[in-house]
Amino acid sequence: MRDRSRGAFIGAFLAPALGVYAFFVIYPFLQAVLFSTYRWRGLSQNKQFVGIENFRNLFSDPVFWQAVKNNLWLLFVAGAIAIAISVGVATGARGKSLLSRSLRGVYLFPQVISLVVVAILWYFVFSPEIGLLNGGLRAIGLDSLAKPWLGQPSTALAAVGIAFVWYVSGFYVMLFAAGIQSIPSEVFEAAELDGAHGFRRFRTVIWPMLWSVKRVAVVYMVINVMNVFALVLLMTRGGPDRKTEVMLTYLYEQAFTNSQFGYATSLAVANFVIIMALSLGILFYFRRSPMEARR
Amino acid sequence: MTRAVSTTLLLLFGFAVVLPLLWVLMSSVKSGHLIVSSPWAPPDLSNLAVENFSNAWSKAGIGRAFVNSLIATGATLVFLMPISAMAAYVLAKYEFRGSKAILATFLGGMMFPHFLVIVPLFFLLRDLSLLDTMTGLVVVYVAYSLSFTVFVLTGFFQVLPNELGEAAMMDGCGHARTFWRVMLPLARPGLLVVAIFDAIGLWNEYGLALVLLPSAENRTLPLGIANLTMTQQYQSDWGALFAGLVIVMAPVLFVYWIFREKIHETMLAGALKG
Repeated sequence: MRDRSRGAFIGAFLAPALGVYAFFVIYPFLQAVLFSTYRWRGLSQNKQFVGIENFRNLFSDPVFWQAVKNNLWLLFVAGAIAIAISVGVATGARGKSLLSRSLRGVYLFPQVISLVVVAILWYFVFSPEIGLLNGGLRAIGLDSLAKPWLGQPSTALAAVGIAFVWYVSGFYVMLFAAGIQSIPSEVFEAAELDGAHGFRRFRTVIWPMLWSVKRVAVVYMVINVMNVFALVLLMTRGGPDRKTEVMLTYLYEQAFTNSQFGYATSLAVANFVIIMALSLGILFYFRRSPMEARR
Repeated sequence: MTRAVSTTLLLLFGFAVVLPLLWVLMSSVKSGHLIVSSPWAPPDLSNLAVENFSNAWSKAGIGRAFVNSLIATGATLVFLMPISAMAAYVLAKYEFRGSKAILATFLGGMMFPHFLVIVPLFFLLRDLSLLDTMTGLVVVYVAYSLSFTVFVLTGFFQVLPNELGEAAMMDGCGHARTFWRVMLPLARPGLLVVAIFDAIGLWNEYGLALVLLPSAENRTLPLGIANLTMTQQYQSDWGALFAGLVIVMAPVLFVYWIFREKIHETMLAGALKG
């Protein structure tokens, strides 16, 4: 009797959340795999099973590869820069000075405002007419350097990358600051006694001890980068000439502009596989703590 | 030497974070003409263009979008918080077969961009006649907030002492009564933080709303402001656009500022344990 009421209670309390989750998250997720094997323009009677044809087309689609390349550029160039900046700032802001305290108040601002605001803001920084950057260059007499930053293929991706770094850095500052804080103060004192200061102390003591935080940071960066959508859509729409196209903007275009729903879903599946592959690769790379390895 | 380098770095970083936001704030009280002719100039203090805000609010439809965003965020929390708390409580305090697997399933939802399922989700809502309705958006928001919310709340319930619940059970409270009367009130601080955290994310959400709410009258704030950017290029009321950006940002920055310590803790807990 008692046991039955316990079981009923567990079931009743789990049911609403699990039901909504199963129907609106798990079910569409499984459907996505199925949809990727269809040629389908949105009208159910025209749904046609084509097996792996979408993927074959995907792999011979130059725009897909361009988008993958841009995502990887954002990961390995913009992401690496963001992490480097964050580690530097987190290390520098360790103290209790007025500067580091005020910095701690503001560094998450870009992270909590909408990505839409971030995109529009940086669109105007780089905009040719009312742009902050061109306005500044003209003001100091460097008119010749003023450019349509988002409109020319050579600079568009870098401009999007800067906006991306601005948006994500705060999160990683927070992560690394917490990691540094968790290093026992004896370690710092011991390093001090051994004569390790400044950058040397950072390289030989702090950096290796941040191992587990680094792993988390890199996995998050992968998810962050593969999730880039609004930023590109609102800054450049993937242009000029697909130079800033990322996987999710291409997915959006294929699905909701071209009505190629099957093809778009195969893009989603490919995106997911890339996330899994990169994440597993990272977990494998960071599988053992450098502290242990030295023993 | 090292100290000077690190101070310079921190100052540069601080300016890089704050200056673009100050520029938006500054431009929101400048006339459209001044924004174009001198983007770096401070606003004319004797003649602040505060009408930018009323233009954004009523003429540009930001007011309506603001109300829609309030409804979407509020309604989502009303449904999300109780069902998440119930599930999290059971997962944290009861041992039963499959509980680990269920928690892992919820966790899995945090590992992929939600936009990946946008096509099946679009057709699912269409088949349920929920496309382009606030109800549809709210249901989707609840579903896609569950992962994070259940996960963090499970952590909160796990650290609550068992004795209080056991005492309530001894006194004849059933499982459900123990939860509502004893455990849920104890978890209130945790619930509040998670709710704030979810609210910020929902207020800012763009991708799902873009696809699931195609028509103008349902637009949430991020859609409204994005749309304004596109139409503003023809009408050139830049002042109203920047005022609109301030209207989108101000509530989240305000809420963030009040709860920043707690928000840091929650973000870290979510990131480092996940």
